[in-house]
Amino acid sequence: MRPSGLLHLAGLNLRAGWKSAALNAGAACLGAAALVFFVALGLGVGEAARRMFPGETRLVDVVPPAVSLGPVLGGGQLDDEAVARLAAIPGVERAFRRLNCRVPIAATRGPEGVSLNWPQGFTVQLPAVGIDPGLVAQDLGRGQWFEDRGPSQPIPFLASRRVIEIYNKTIAPAWNLRRLPPGVALVGVQFPVKVGFSIVPQKTEDRVVDGRLLLAGLSDRVPLYMVALPLETVRRLHQEYGKADQGYSAVSLLAALPDDVPRVAAAVRRMGFAVDEGDRAMAERVGTVVSLTAGALALLALLMCGLAALAIAQSLSASVRARTKEIAILQAVGATAGDVRALVLAEAGLLGLAGGAAGALLSRLAALGADALAARLLPDFPFRPESFFAFSPWLYLVAIGVAVASAVLGALGPAAIAAGVDPARTIS
Amino acid sequence: MIALRGITKRFRDAGEELVVLDRVDLDARPGELVAVVGPSGSGKSTLLYIAGGLDADFEGEAIVAGRSLATLGPRERAAFRNSAVGFVFQSFNLLPALTALDNVMLPGLFAPAGSGRESLADLRARARAALERVDLGGKADRRPARLSGGERQRVAIARALLARPSVLLADEPTGNLDTASGAGVIGLFQEMARGGMTVLVVTHEERVSGVASRVLHLEGGRIR
Repeated sequence: MRPSGLLHLAGLNLRAGWKSAALNAGAACLGAAALVFFVALGLGVGEAARRMFPGETRLVDVVPPAVSLGPVLGGGQLDDEAVARLAAIPGVERAFRRLNCRVPIAATRGPEGVSLNWPQGFTVQLPAVGIDPGLVAQDLGRGQWFEDRGPSQPIPFLASRRVIEIYNKTIAPAWNLRRLPPGVALVGVQFPVKVGFSIVPQKTEDRVVDGRLLLAGLSDRVPLYMVALPLETVRRLHQEYGKADQGYSAVSLLAALPDDVPRVAAAVRRMGFAVDEGDRAMAERVGTVVSLTAGALALLALLMCGLAALAIAQSLSASVRARTKEIAILQAVGATAGDVRALVLAEAGLLGLAGGAAGALLSRLAALGADALAARLLPDFPFRPESFFAFSPWLYLVAIGVAVASAVLGALGPAAIAAGVDPARTIS
Repeated sequence: MIALRGITKRFRDAGEELVVLDRVDLDARPGELVAVVGPSGSGKSTLLYIAGGLDADFEGEAIVAGRSLATLGPRERAAFRNSAVGFVFQSFNLLPALTALDNVMLPGLFAPAGSGRESLADLRARARAALERVDLGGKADRRPARLSGGERQRVAIARALLARPSVLLADEPTGNLDTASGAGVIGLFQEMARGGMTVLVVTHEERVSGVASRVLHLEGGRIR
């Protein structure tokens, strides 16, 4: 049978039994809508979680062990020799040193050129860490530099990409401060700071000097509540303020591949050092929870598609039984058993197609409604996405495909019944 | 041409065997309008279904339109029904959801691959021409429910003629028609036979058998 004729006839049959066809398409529509809705919700929440906890899949953060018996038995201080050994672990592409700045730095005024409504006497302590510039090279703003240019020059720094969002959604409203513009607009801004000053009086150094911090970029590789300075700057400050060398605070190992991370982490532990899994573990936990929840909901939706297939099977069985004479007539004019089977499957396929397309549209509308409801009912927390849903063309295609597949699967039985009609007995 | 030799048909019902056709021989040549008459239950319709390839479960030899039906597989039998024979039934057997035109197009939609399929537009044009041939060109878009009995039967005849078969098989074609409509249908059959078609009509009506080239009496499963 020609495909155009098959579709023509299937369409005519569906139009003739439009009430039952609408019910079947409705069942397929609900299954597809639930599938798209829940998968889009999972993807959307997953994206939001990744923005909130941007765990890096190739980084292993090495820290000194809590308890160490010294370098002879492994572990101990993270000095240059230890860094070299860590960098030599198979699977490690590069090693980046981190050194916590033990000289306090505080901002007593707002950034230059940015109107923040900075309160009189308001001081912000800026915990700082010195890092190898290579770790954040790809995050520097256009025309920015990240190196130590001596005491008379501004100190370049990078902040966490997430800190502006948290500031705008929590600190600014709480302290009645103006919100900061988007991160990229702030790059290049200078902050007047007091180096050596601490909001804890006992921690303030004997020598406090005015300085300037220059925002050189934003990076997910900078700890959330710290600013990252060039490693050499922190070393210079430690020297100027007489801080003893205690080794590096941490070393970030960049694995060649994400799959290398477990082996690298195991090798690090065998060397007697600890692995700081804080951010990554949190990201993984959140990712797992989101994936599991979305997966469970998607399974539920698939179950609905299965139920839709059953409903379609039942309805088409009844329809085939009611149309046995018509099927026999088709056979009398030349339809083969295969043609009859194809006709029933084509009817189911068209129902699935219409139901799937309607389901995709319905899920989009439901998502818009859910987002509107969330915008009204949920507080404006950091990283709250504009939409909790992530729709993509492939998702619509999958939904339509699943709806068509479930309808066609449900039609297999009725199609077999239809193909088995004996024209001679039925017509007479 | 129709050549049936020793056709036997048995039915099994509740363990009992019933012989409906018993070694029936029948010949009908091109240009002949042959009527098979007989009482109800004599096996007339069964004979027609065997000749038309609808019923493949029989004994004997059936050669219709040059094909030996006993040797055809299911697909070949379907192709045979599609192009070699045309059926006309007492109850018209039109699909109620389809318009007259769509009903007439049906055989074309099921034309087997490799039989020179035409486009849907060409098929539609040919179906419209077939409807015009039975004087229903103006009612092509009507559904069967909006046609009279005579008109429905003429749609069924147009459908049977679409594939230009060499054999037309009719099962009580005037059984549900008034005198005028029945006369119209009989006239069409005569016209087809004159055109060289083999027309085999199963009937119990005098008005049909009266115009037939030959009349065969089927009784107790045998031609008498």
